[in-house]
Amino acid sequence: MQDRRIDQLFREVAEKGLSRRQLIQRAAVLGISAPALTVAMTQLSATAMAQGADNPLGVDPNAPLDVVIFKGGYGDDYAKNVNTNLYGKLYPKAKITYDGAQRLQEKYQPRLVAGNPPDVMDNSGAGNFNTTELVNQDQLQDLADLMNAPAYGQDGVTFADSLKKGSQADGIYNGKQYNLNYVISAYGIWYNAAYMKEKGYEYPKTWDDMLKLCEEIKSEGKTSPWTYQGLYPQYMRMVFDQMVFKNGGREAIAKIDNLTEDAWTQDSAQAAMNALVALHDKGYIMKGTEALSHTQSQTEWLQGKAVFIPCGSWLENEMKGLIPQGFEMTEQATPSLAGDKLPQSAIQASAGEDFIVFSKGKNVKGGMEWLRLLFSKDGAKFFSQNTKSLTVVNGSADGLELGSAFASVQAAIEAAGDNTFVARYAGWYADLDEESRNMFGNLMTGKSSVKDVTSDLQDLTNQIREDSSIPKFHETPAASPAS
Amino acid sequence: MYYRKYRLIVPFMLPALILYFVFVLYPYARAFYVSLTSWGGLSSKMPWVGLDNYHKLLNDQRFLDALGRNGQLLIALPLITIAISLTFAALFTQGGQGVRGAGFYRVVFFFPQVMSAVVIGILWTYVYSPNVGMLNGILRNVGLGSLARPWLGDSSTILWCILAVAVWSSVGFYMVIFVAGMQSIPTSFYEAAVLDGASRWGLFKDITFPLLWETIRTCLIYIAIAALDFFTLVQVMTGGSSTGASRSAEVTALYMYTTAFTKSRWGYATAIGVVLLVLTLLLSVVIMQATKRETYEY
Repeated sequence: MQDRRIDQLFREVAEKGLSRRQLIQRAAVLGISAPALTVAMTQLSATAMAQGADNPLGVDPNAPLDVVIFKGGYGDDYAKNVNTNLYGKLYPKAKITYDGAQRLQEKYQPRLVAGNPPDVMDNSGAGNFNTTELVNQDQLQDLADLMNAPAYGQDGVTFADSLKKGSQADGIYNGKQYNLNYVISAYGIWYNAAYMKEKGYEYPKTWDDMLKLCEEIKSEGKTSPWTYQGLYPQYMRMVFDQMVFKNGGREAIAKIDNLTEDAWTQDSAQAAMNALVALHDKGYIMKGTEALSHTQSQTEWLQGKAVFIPCGSWLENEMKGLIPQGFEMTEQATPSLAGDKLPQSAIQASAGEDFIVFSKGKNVKGGMEWLRLLFSKDGAKFFSQNTKSLTVVNGSADGLELGSAFASVQAAIEAAGDNTFVARYAGWYADLDEESRNMFGNLMTGKSSVKDVTSDLQDLTNQIREDSSIPKFHETPAASPAS
Repeated sequence: MYYRKYRLIVPFMLPALILYFVFVLYPYARAFYVSLTSWGGLSSKMPWVGLDNYHKLLNDQRFLDALGRNGQLLIALPLITIAISLTFAALFTQGGQGVRGAGFYRVVFFFPQVMSAVVIGILWTYVYSPNVGMLNGILRNVGLGSLARPWLGDSSTILWCILAVAVWSSVGFYMVIFVAGMQSIPTSFYEAAVLDGASRWGLFKDITFPLLWETIRTCLIYIAIAALDFFTLVQVMTGGSSTGASRSAEVTALYMYTTAFTKSRWGYATAIGVVLLVLTLLLSVVIMQATKRETYEY
């Protein structure tokens, strides 16, 4: 309570320029105790001194900062780089507590419950916090101040404008930016370009051609046309999402995101499911696929046991060391269905590695400043060189050579232009996520028909919509990603 | 005099009692409280809902299914594990003379116990793997290819495949306990019986088994508790996927985990935990009572 009042006082100081005397009077009105005021005044003068063009967020240069980073596939050298070479140089007096860790929820949940969270976190990897729940339980800082601040090291560009258009859309919850994404991923279908060339095959641009090619591959009998990450059918759901987007446009995906009454019964959803189920019905999916984990199926795909596999652009990084010589990993957007509204190049592109600032942290401004520096050209260039992955920071990868798979991803993103999207329902509603994974698994193994999947998911969607105990989110098709 | 005795005892016991209270009794009591709320797990807000969570559990088909699986395991796991480990123990030890190479087998069969459950789970997912797995490989090579299947991707086989791994990994441990029990039975009993013309099976049935009863009881309770938990192997061998065929192996503890960690329903998950705790306690008491027998002094 006290803190909130002090915050209000600070705001009034900034807006009205209160004199010292007015300040003390105002503090009395707000009911701030004298000792608290003394502490606040010291902070205030430090902040006032520091605030300016170099410190647009008004960070207290003496305040310690608590940084927690998911140390996974991308390592954490890039974060240490921000600590020592950026934040540490700008605010040499700030003591940075740093932890590069995994399974962040298990490790940091007690501190959240105790009201003592870290300041800034890369909330990613297995065992991370569910962002939606963090939002629902009021733990995250609205990053509006950061979005409006000038970008670090670029004149006349705001932080928001320095990032790839649309890349931060899925960090918005009911109009507020709570979450920032760092690494760009595009989702599509992968194949070995060298194999395709050798066989004289072309990547099919329509689903009919895809099925024809599958028939040809199958009749040759040497390899299966398709596989997917069997234990995790969300990879097939991702293909579905992309087909729905192309077929019915943004509105079609928004119908599912917004839990409408025809979310799953709409024509585009039906067309996409019917297209996918053909892969199973015609026997194009590699035997045993349903029992394979993502790494197992991707390994068998690399060994040439199947031609196509759905995945995101992290695939090369994930399978590093297992890629055979001469294998040309290539990604393309899903093929078109009959009557699609959008071109075949339209693609699901999202940005990952979720950075958040905890609203109850001790140094919220420092947390936002840390992100401003990480999302600067300097910070991002270091990341790309270090991890061979592209960030959301405009122009940060100019002139960098990033390998063949990445070239295809970059080309796909470029070809898609404004026709990119992110499906939100799975992230927003945990039950719908789990059940749709379940159902797409059943669909691809022939356990449930398109009709059963549709009615099951539509029933659940209706149930969630009517359940007032589940917090709701809303997607407006017009204002949605990358447009 | 008693007063003085307590003055000495109490300070010695106090630290242990405090630790026991803080780290054992308090968490149990706290868990019961949490199970009466709809705590979301990420803040300190715990809205009180009374017995709602327990009411919901009664109608939660997924919970009941999971509990049913624990029930199946509860019958199968102790029977199979004890039967096999007793057989091995008897073969290697009974009457002071085991089969040839008994010492070697005793060590080798104990090996899985040295590995962590996670390592065992991961190794066996490769054994069961549909295309590159050892099991299907062997089946295909001996002409039984028609039996080959995606073992962990098939609703009808997945739970039993995981059960087999649990048996494989724990047989060695119980064998060692039974071996120790058998070694304390005087060999003179066996010698006398052999003189009277008893068969090997007769020795086991009439001497080993009754004299080992206390040990078997204890093991029964251990295995029963393991059957009620069974979390680790299922979590590892299903890749934590909780859908499709993996759902057919979902045990109560795993459902509790999913409810808490992926759905952030900690109040509800804690209610599941409390039910599991009560069931475990009840089960221990029931087994203790049901298996009470006259014990023999020797």
